[in-house]
Amino acid sequence: MSGRTLEINGRKVWLLESGKGAPLLYLHGFADVHSVKESWIPFHEKLAQHAQVIAPAHPGCAQTDENKDIDIIEDVVFHYLEVLDALKLTQFDLVGSCVGGWIAAEIAARHPEKIRKLVLIGATGLFVEGALIGDVFMMAQPEYGSSYASLREMLFSGADQPDALEMFPDGKGDLEDEVRRYQMLRFGSRIGFKPPYFYNRSLKNRLHRISCPALVVWGEKDSMVPRVHGETYARLLPNAQPLKIIVHAGHSVHAEKPDVTAQMVLNFLAE
Amino acid sequence: MKPVQLFCWHFMAYPYLDKDFDEKQYSGWVTVPNSLWDNRKARGLYQEYIDQLAYADELGFDGMVLNEHHQNIYGLMPSPNLIASALTQRTIRGKIIVLGNLLPLHLNPMRVAEEYAMLDQMSNGRLIAGFAPGGGPETFNYDVPSANTREKFWEAADLIVRSWTEDGPFAHEGRYFPLRYVNLWPKPLQKPFPPVWIPGSRSPSTMAEVAKRGYCYFLSSRSHGGETHRAQQEFAAVLEKHGDQYHPFRFGILMSTYVAETDQQARQECEEGVWYFLKNCLKGHLRREGRQLTYGPGVPYIPAAAWREYLKGYTPGRKLLGDVENWEELDASQSIIVGSPETVHRRIQNLIEKAKVGNLLIQFQLGNMPDHLARKSMKLFAEKVAPALRDDSLKQFTDEFPGAKVEQAAEAVY
Repeated sequence: MSGRTLEINGRKVWLLESGKGAPLLYLHGFADVHSVKESWIPFHEKLAQHAQVIAPAHPGCAQTDENKDIDIIEDVVFHYLEVLDALKLTQFDLVGSCVGGWIAAEIAARHPEKIRKLVLIGATGLFVEGALIGDVFMMAQPEYGSSYASLREMLFSGADQPDALEMFPDGKGDLEDEVRRYQMLRFGSRIGFKPPYFYNRSLKNRLHRISCPALVVWGEKDSMVPRVHGETYARLLPNAQPLKIIVHAGHSVHAEKPDVTAQMVLNFLAE
Repeated sequence: MKPVQLFCWHFMAYPYLDKDFDEKQYSGWVTVPNSLWDNRKARGLYQEYIDQLAYADELGFDGMVLNEHHQNIYGLMPSPNLIASALTQRTIRGKIIVLGNLLPLHLNPMRVAEEYAMLDQMSNGRLIAGFAPGGGPETFNYDVPSANTREKFWEAADLIVRSWTEDGPFAHEGRYFPLRYVNLWPKPLQKPFPPVWIPGSRSPSTMAEVAKRGYCYFLSSRSHGGETHRAQQEFAAVLEKHGDQYHPFRFGILMSTYVAETDQQARQECEEGVWYFLKNCLKGHLRREGRQLTYGPGVPYIPAAAWREYLKGYTPGRKLLGDVENWEELDASQSIIVGSPETVHRRIQNLIEKAKVGNLLIQFQLGNMPDHLARKSMKLFAEKVAPALRDDSLKQFTDEFPGAKVEQAAEAVY
């Protein structure tokens, strides 16, 4: 694994990369590399055995410069188009989890020709009537002054799930880890706090442009993004497989079930 | 120089909650079920509270203070300007302090500029205009995204003041509130513009922004240990850095008090209201019990570097004001000063001496405190505490700030 900084248009973008093979751009969510961990989690290590995994940190996350001019998802999409230019990536596999999945879908809808295959894991981004995306910000306000149990409950299959406890511990955690989680919430609040709440109403009508093969993966018990969002992605992406459910896992399937999830992604990419 | 300015602050709590509220309800803020609102009891409540504020004016308080809160039992003033409007017609002397309108919650800051200008005209130049950014609960009340809140707030505040002072129409080419025709009708009465107060909780950046503009800094903390004195020193240092000088009327604090004939009687009379306030009204705001909305990573409005600094000094699960377990602990927090006129005078005088603060914003009605007790306490304070505080503070301020240019009270200049 190595990390490096890209300079794009005067801004620094931090990224991690590992492995050999076809390029795979990974866009992170809340319980993930850059947002809780400085380095890979096992999911990425497994992917990197078969692909060249490249994972930039979102603006304001890890060592990527914050960008105060990001107001809407469009601004994030253009940020990533610049990242792609800097990386000289013209054809690649695109994998995104949670908010990263939303960004991935938005990029793919604008530039379907750049994407070889698309993988969405517990992706936000869609408006589905009657199925609100959970309020991760309120859950991030501690209970009893020090408990993040309800945040863990939202992001994992349960508040006491071991990975959840490690990534979002109660009380005083490691200072830099706490700052990392804060940075991700701050980035998320730029595009996902004000209604639309982590979605773009227009995205649904643009998904038909994404002609590449697509895989949509959801945790059996996703308490942040209701499963019907996954079903909707799988239905509206023209070349998607039926929605894949990973049992005994919550929203952050890649963190909770790294082996099963990574294998599923690798199989799909190898097909 | 002028003596300490004593203002009567009313929060307008919802006072009809059942005794088991704390046990049964998770929060008093944002998600507190409004099925608890009872019209049979609440009819006439605003009248009672407005009458108390009008009474403060009769008693010779220097003004009445209101502020904005949404979706909670702590303060029933989603629009403090409506109450301020009523006060323009019910009071004749005191300042009307709205502390403040929560600017990031307004789609267009011109609405605030207009309403404040109206209030200044309607009150014959008695308005003190507060601008506040809102905190954790307000983020959730109106879904205000956190990251750029402070910038947005200052753009709005500056636009409002510009619209009061600069002839229109002009175009505002702002990042958050671009407007083609800014042209305020009516203009405020006071010149160059109504005094502006800004609340803060010791953040250096807020102090600097306030100092830069020459406004009054109001410390929003409810506890007054060493922190109040430190805040004053910090703000004085910031003013100096901006080539300005501290005097007591650049600074204000919030405190609560209850005065009765004796110490013992005071405690007896106010205790129910005090505990109602601490356990119910502060639940979700200044209590660790339930979900504390005011501070936390879910409202990420400060930059990550500032958050890192905050975390270094932060103890998870530490007690907040509403977590005090007994009267002695509460007493030590210097948040609610309870006692005979002598006791209350001594303790407040002590606070003024140390913190060199000229604007005391005092809450009398606490929680479900009945009308007659709130009025009795206000009257005793006005008659038996205020005169001595004024005498003492005038001497102190004259000695300590001989050259200070302090604007005199309430005179509109045309």
